[in-house]
Amino acid sequence: MSRSKSLLLLPAAFIASLALAATQWTMQPKQSELTFTAVQAGAPFQGKFDTFSADIRFDPNDIGNSRFEVKIDLASVNSSDGERDDTLRSSDLFAVNKWPTATYVAERFEHRGGTKFAAIGKLTLRGVTREVPIEFTFETNKSGAWLKGSGKLKRLDFGVGQGEWKDTESVANEVQVHYALLLTKS
Amino acid sequence: MSIQLKNTEMKYGPIAQLFHWVIVVLVVTQFVLALRADGLPRGPALVHTLALHKSVGITIFALAILRLTWRWLNPVPRMPPSSPRWQHVAARISHIALYSLLLIMPLFGWLMSSARNFPVSWFGVATLPDLIGPSEQAFDFFHEGHKLLAKVLFVLALLHIAAALKHHFIDRDDVLLRMLPWNRKRETGH
Repeated sequence: MSRSKSLLLLPAAFIASLALAATQWTMQPKQSELTFTAVQAGAPFQGKFDTFSADIRFDPNDIGNSRFEVKIDLASVNSSDGERDDTLRSSDLFAVNKWPTATYVAERFEHRGGTKFAAIGKLTLRGVTREVPIEFTFETNKSGAWLKGSGKLKRLDFGVGQGEWKDTESVANEVQVHYALLLTKS
Repeated sequence: MSIQLKNTEMKYGPIAQLFHWVIVVLVVTQFVLALRADGLPRGPALVHTLALHKSVGITIFALAILRLTWRWLNPVPRMPPSSPRWQHVAARISHIALYSLLLIMPLFGWLMSSARNFPVSWFGVATLPDLIGPSEQAFDFFHEGHKLLAKVLFVLALLHIAAALKHHFIDRDDVLLRMLPWNRKRETGH
């Protein structure tokens, strides 16, 4: 094949790749939130991560080519209490000096009917990678879409809680994660 | 002989006595837990100690409400007529202050917890709603208030004990005895 002909094929290949990929979305950080509910001494409390990014490629009609990649700045943890946040950042819990970022990558999706979906993604936290299933709704509107859902995980599966913090009576093992992402089309 | 549960003009009944002494034990427990918490570094032991302190505090709060309700439904034993009027006034004021502290101290503790986003659980059985949103200023205010009130309570409790002992050993009246469950000898007045 001559060089000019192969050059002509390039745009075609580009268009073909676009058709294959599900819609790429851009997360609006100001309106989006990533929160968690943990239980301390029997009492649930909420916290959030102030800094995170989500690379969302998703099409309700093409879940096979959809992909989520979320990066969470663990040092941005905010539980409305500075001392507790310092403890969370420390080496026994998130150890942000060694592992500053948690990553969640989902590539397997399931349509649960209507706007409901589920995914099994891999969460990498504190150097440990494990599957964490999530459930979410994906609702599109004129300007974009809302992706809202939750998942739960066991903190000790990821080593979040070393030494005395392995105690699950002071901090329960199960942690719920909630998210609401405002997405606009890229 | 049926058991007289209610107070008389002369003596506190067993219900009022039970409220009094259970709250005494719980308040002493609170001081012990608070002092223990002060000496602990951040960690699960501190979390446990404070959780227990909060649970006991909420218990005192609930008991104080029930106790005041019971008091309202009962006659209050008379102050000894032999004591001077200023002592009656002082006793009245200190009793009102003690009851108020049993309500205000737990409330300040609850507000402190809410202000720091550490919701209060009652022995892990029920979680109380947050009274206010997270706020460092509010936390500092209620924390300082809680500590100050603890000192006031400590001093008032000492005065209360001193007054009871004075009535018993110096005035030789029945002010102390009528709050003691094992005292039976002065029940003839009614």
